[in-house]
Amino acid sequence: MEEQQVIAEKTQGSTAGAVTRTVHTDTTSKWFLISSVSYFFIVGIVAILLAAKFVWPELLGTVSVLTYGRLRPLHVNGMLFGWLLACDMGLAFYYVPRLCGVRLWSEKLGCATAGLWNIIILSAVVELLAGHNQGLEYAELPSWLDLLVVVAWVMFGLNIFMTIANRKYTQMYVSLWYTMGTILWTAFVYLTGNLAVLFATGVNQANLNWMYVHNAVGLIFTPVGLAIAYYFIPKASNAPLHSHRLSMIGFWSLAFVYVWTGAHHMLHGPISQWLQTIAIAFSVMLLIPVWTVVYNFFATMKGQWHMVRENVPLKFLMSGVVFYLLTCFQGPMHSLRTVNAIVSKTDWIPGHAHMAVLGAFSFFAIAGTYYVLPRIFNVELYSNALANWSYWFLMIGGLGFFVTLWLGGFWQGWQWNNPSIPFIDTVVALKPVWIVRFFSGILMFAGITTFLYNFMATALSAKGRSAA
Amino acid sequence: MLNRIDIDAKVFVGAALVMFFIGGTLTTVVPPMVDTSWSKPFENNDPSKGPTGKLLPYTEQEKKGHAIYVREGCWYCHTQQTRTLLADTKRSGWRGVDSPVSTPDEFVYDSPHMFGTKRTGPDLSRVGGKYDQQWHRTHFKNPRDLVPGSIMPPFPWIANNEEEFQALVAYLQRLGRAKNWRPDNDYEK
Ligand code: HEC
Repeated sequence: MEEQQVIAEKTQGSTAGAVTRTVHTDTTSKWFLISSVSYFFIVGIVAILLAAKFVWPELLGTVSVLTYGRLRPLHVNGMLFGWLLACDMGLAFYYVPRLCGVRLWSEKLGCATAGLWNIIILSAVVELLAGHNQGLEYAELPSWLDLLVVVAWVMFGLNIFMTIANRKYTQMYVSLWYTMGTILWTAFVYLTGNLAVLFATGVNQANLNWMYVHNAVGLIFTPVGLAIAYYFIPKASNAPLHSHRLSMIGFWSLAFVYVWTGAHHMLHGPISQWLQTIAIAFSVMLLIPVWTVVYNFFATMKGQWHMVRENVPLKFLMSGVVFYLLTCFQGPMHSLRTVNAIVSKTDWIPGHAHMAVLGAFSFFAIAGTYYVLPRIFNVELYSNALANWSYWFLMIGGLGFFVTLWLGGFWQGWQWNNPSIPFIDTVVALKPVWIVRFFSGILMFAGITTFLYNFMATALSAKGRSAA
Repeated sequence: MLNRIDIDAKVFVGAALVMFFIGGTLTTVVPPMVDTSWSKPFENNDPSKGPTGKLLPYTEQEKKGHAIYVREGCWYCHTQQTRTLLADTKRSGWRGVDSPVSTPDEFVYDSPHMFGTKRTGPDLSRVGGKYDQQWHRTHFKNPRDLVPGSIMPPFPWIANNEEEFQALVAYLQRLGRAKNWRPDNDYEK
């Protein structure tokens, strides 16, 4: 009980700036956020193009650099690394120094990291469109870019760890554990998925590849996403975190359970049965870290729910928590052999993946961005109404996207399991689903556009003011 | 220890890595040592044990075809695994004969592996010998000319480049051919 109050005071203390005020320049944070939000928009265009190709397969069909197979890796890598991870890093550069009660260890190093990250993303665009694809999911980037990613990650990690080492408060708040976990695990997960795979072939290589793919979500985007949620939910709702102990259980069960589950991407496939069974057992155990975390968030919100109506960051946060709960219920269910036999390899899966990466983790990142934006630029948000619009566009577009793909994917899986239905009939049957997905995508893109506009207008008004 | 874990960063780092490496090692390093079929190429001469045949390494031309398959992202829409599901063995089958399921020893020379995760198009693990060259050429020019309603993209730059086209078809025609399972060796060229 006492512990919780310490944390609560600490998290609140830093906004109120009650005691000794540490002045944060937040330059690194600004650069990461500006670039990530721009990539969100640019890669959003690619996303729309992909959705359109499902409806009009000949669209730009004779242009080799714009064929589906080259745009898809650009979409996935652009969203994961250009938008989401960069935004998460930008937010970490904001909350880590505040939770430690000190300034960021080195803004110079931070800005260099942001510069390097932009070089990586822009080079990735060129390489992927040229078809220089390594042929492994999430690990499409050629090796020289992987190497730069490792360098950038070490620069990021060093800055964060040194800030934590210099911290003023002894006890480390949950968000700090999750951030440190992300940095450590990502290093090994990334090396497995991008380096170790090159020394393996066949099923062995696939197993390493899935370990990486699964943990890119589970041990990179999940922990850093939760770090953000753990920091911004108490902040935005002005309530102390419900339980420190529960957050410990959530963290350590995540640390132990997640890494075992990679083989569930090959259920019924050519990989050892016993490994499939282990993956299934651990996938089901994932419910433990998820439910403890979600319970903790909901309990924190007790008595504060009325704030959701007026507060855009809180809207994104709590919708993100619900999507997180749902997506992490789907995951363990898909890994059951009977369910997997229906949904695996269908359009259900992109529905599920988008709920995780867009519905949960991007919502957290957008919430954090809206929250820190006025604080790092020291101005009012350009428009609260526009922010609200961006929420509803993303929410309705997102729901349209998820729900139609689940229904369509389930139906598709059902049809596949009846071999008397010719494959092409199962393609034609899904056309209405892809049309709805395309229009949902347009709505989501409208959300991204308003988000970007609001962001830039806020940043520019700060610039205008300081010039005046 | 438990009460030091959130005040001592060094203890924390140690614990986080230990937790990770237990599962990490047991599920990535150990399995290929336990299950040798992951690295032993398929070979069977005894018809009583199932289909006979031998997995051969890729020829230079097939390797080129594989590289094109990677470059154009065919693997985002096509899987290469006949799973242990009845419907998969029927869909991969040929003239009423069910296909054998895919086994790890059929993929030993694959790098990057092309198992795939999404079936926007049909599985290709047994497509070798299903269609002849002329069919593939027409299909790559515009899939809808052969299969109305298809959403596969056109690939005119492959169909019109003889070297690339031959390489890609050579690769496709070898898929799933290590196991001789079709009666009378009935394969299209
Ligand atoms: C956007 C998804 C998509 C991409 C990318 C794609 N395909 Fe297809 N493919 C399909 C669909 C859908 C079908 C089923 C309809 C048809 O036969 O055209 C298909 C059918 C096929 C077939 C016939 C399979 C059978 O058993 O009848 C072959 C062979 C094939 N594709 C090869 C390729 C190759 C090679 C590439 C890369 C150069 C490729 N595809 C890229 C979607 C795709």
